[in-house]
Amino acid sequence: MKKLLPLVAAAAVLAGCGKKAETTAGAPATPGKPVVALVVKTLNHPFFIDMQRGAEEAAKAAGVELIVQAAEREIDVERQMQIIENLIQRKVNALVVAPSGSREIVPVVVKANQAGIPVLVVDTRVDAPALQAAGGKTATFIGSDNYEGGKLAGEFMLQKMGGQARIAILEGIPGHETGDQRLRGFRDALKGSPGMVVVASQPANWERDQGYNVFQNILQAHPDVNAMFAANDLMALGALEAIAAAGKTGQITVIGFDALEEARAAVKKGTMAGTVAQDPAQMGRVGVEWAARVLKGETPPADIAVPIQFVK
Amino acid sequence: MKLPPVIARHARQFGTFAVFVVLCAVISVLTPHFFTVTNLLNVAQQTVINALIAVGLTYVIISGGIDLSVGSILAFAGVVMAHALRLGWPVPLAILAGVGVGAGCGLVNGLLISYGRLPPFIATLGMMSVARGGALLATDGRPVSGFGESFRWLATGEIAGVPVPVLIMVLVYAAAHLVLQRTKFGRYTYAIGGNEEASLLSGVPVRLYKTGIYVVGGGLAALGAVLLTARLNSAQPIAGINYELDAIAATVIGGTSLMGGQGSVIGTLIGALIMGVLRNGLNLLGVSSFIQQVVIGVVIIAAVLLDTFFKQSKR
Repeated sequence: MKKLLPLVAAAAVLAGCGKKAETTAGAPATPGKPVVALVVKTLNHPFFIDMQRGAEEAAKAAGVELIVQAAEREIDVERQMQIIENLIQRKVNALVVAPSGSREIVPVVVKANQAGIPVLVVDTRVDAPALQAAGGKTATFIGSDNYEGGKLAGEFMLQKMGGQARIAILEGIPGHETGDQRLRGFRDALKGSPGMVVVASQPANWERDQGYNVFQNILQAHPDVNAMFAANDLMALGALEAIAAAGKTGQITVIGFDALEEARAAVKKGTMAGTVAQDPAQMGRVGVEWAARVLKGETPPADIAVPIQFVK
Repeated sequence: MKLPPVIARHARQFGTFAVFVVLCAVISVLTPHFFTVTNLLNVAQQTVINALIAVGLTYVIISGGIDLSVGSILAFAGVVMAHALRLGWPVPLAILAGVGVGAGCGLVNGLLISYGRLPPFIATLGMMSVARGGALLATDGRPVSGFGESFRWLATGEIAGVPVPVLIMVLVYAAAHLVLQRTKFGRYTYAIGGNEEASLLSGVPVRLYKTGIYVVGGGLAALGAVLLTARLNSAQPIAGINYELDAIAATVIGGTSLMGGQGSVIGTLIGALIMGVLRNGLNLLGVSSFIQQVVIGVVIIAAVLLDTFFKQSKR
């Protein structure tokens, strides 16, 4: 009997989860109520938690059941694919997806098409040529452009520094498209301004502690840096600490991305010059609203823009 | 009560298998979407990548080693193969290039461990970083994507209703099982893990075989890369991060001892399936991803507890 103990325990845990799922997150409690699944990149980032909140509000208003799922790691494209495959098996009525990889998502979009489940894309675009080549289709894209956000940041820095700056950049995880687009926008904004010199551009992998360390290293190599752009706020916030530790608070113009609560507070305090604000809650809200409308037979526009702002 | 000898000899695998059956039964009761042909094939396909990495790792762990670099090797091999495909190489040659890169990384691991006398943890920790950097260098950090239908067939094709990746997984496991149980390579793998000193004294060419084991591990991770790339129609330099941990979990759930000298590839297959079924079932039930992580952790611990209970009761 002793041997069976872990077995029983595992079964009990599972059974417990099943029950919980039915009452909170899961299976349609009201028969006939359509089920909309929101699949985001991860649920351990404030950005996607806000998106979930917006989606939940919209689901309540539209009278649909909402399931929210995500991979543990933001970059795990295969895991996100598995989750969507499983939701197709579960026969959800509509999918709202924030793709972890704009090309890697294509095969599973095709699978959803085959199952007759409409796919609404939020936040990150599906690669159009890849989608076309695979013969897949999505209902709409709801989001704001990371490239435009990066450009806003670059234009602000250009103006603020009066065209003369020694700039350091903190990049996200290499190969991560969100970061690439933000950086491309930023660099494009500086084109044609020879006084704006990028002296260092290093990855800090989206993380706060790495933002601290990498920026500290950059300051060692380039003590003359007087402006910094981080592809997300967490890295910018880490860098702020490094700046403080070097006794340079206020001497370096820091711009971040995402407009997290803490970053907004830093902007107010004046330690950060600005941050780019997307509106993830609005993306989630509009995504679920349109999913409900698509299920009623309406056709959304191909592109629904969610406004982007610069917080300064 | 005395168990029949066949069952007694394989009691550990029966234990793992029992966990698997109970798990399937519980999920089947909780959701009608689980026990359908399409969903079960779905689970099998989702298990393939982890299962392929884990089978190589099973050899490594039975030999008393560990390989932390398999996730990075998967990424490196994947992008090299993807480049070759984009350059228009014939599919088999491109696959060979990818698997060659994987086996090559494994060879370096093996040489460092056998001849450089580095602890496997250190050597493969280094390779984990080197191969990841190699993958990023080879691609400038960007994914390489868009391949022909003949390559995609490896992920999308079916033979007699069975998806090709599942067939490949079954074939690899059958071969790995036979090699481990019926050949010198297999016997030496157990012997080295059981007692390296004694193996050496009894004339086993320990260094040579140990090196070979890491080559197998790297090659199988690269085979995982082939199927992952076909599945996603893209090879990412950041693919496979933490996959080594999933593979270690599958191996351990399957009853292979981290101390070396004990284990089986069939156990690992069941271990990988348990993880696949768990994730699938929890998705079908709409369980939050945070709870999913807790459940998976609990199952890993429960499976190893089962192992410990069994060993104590045998004494």
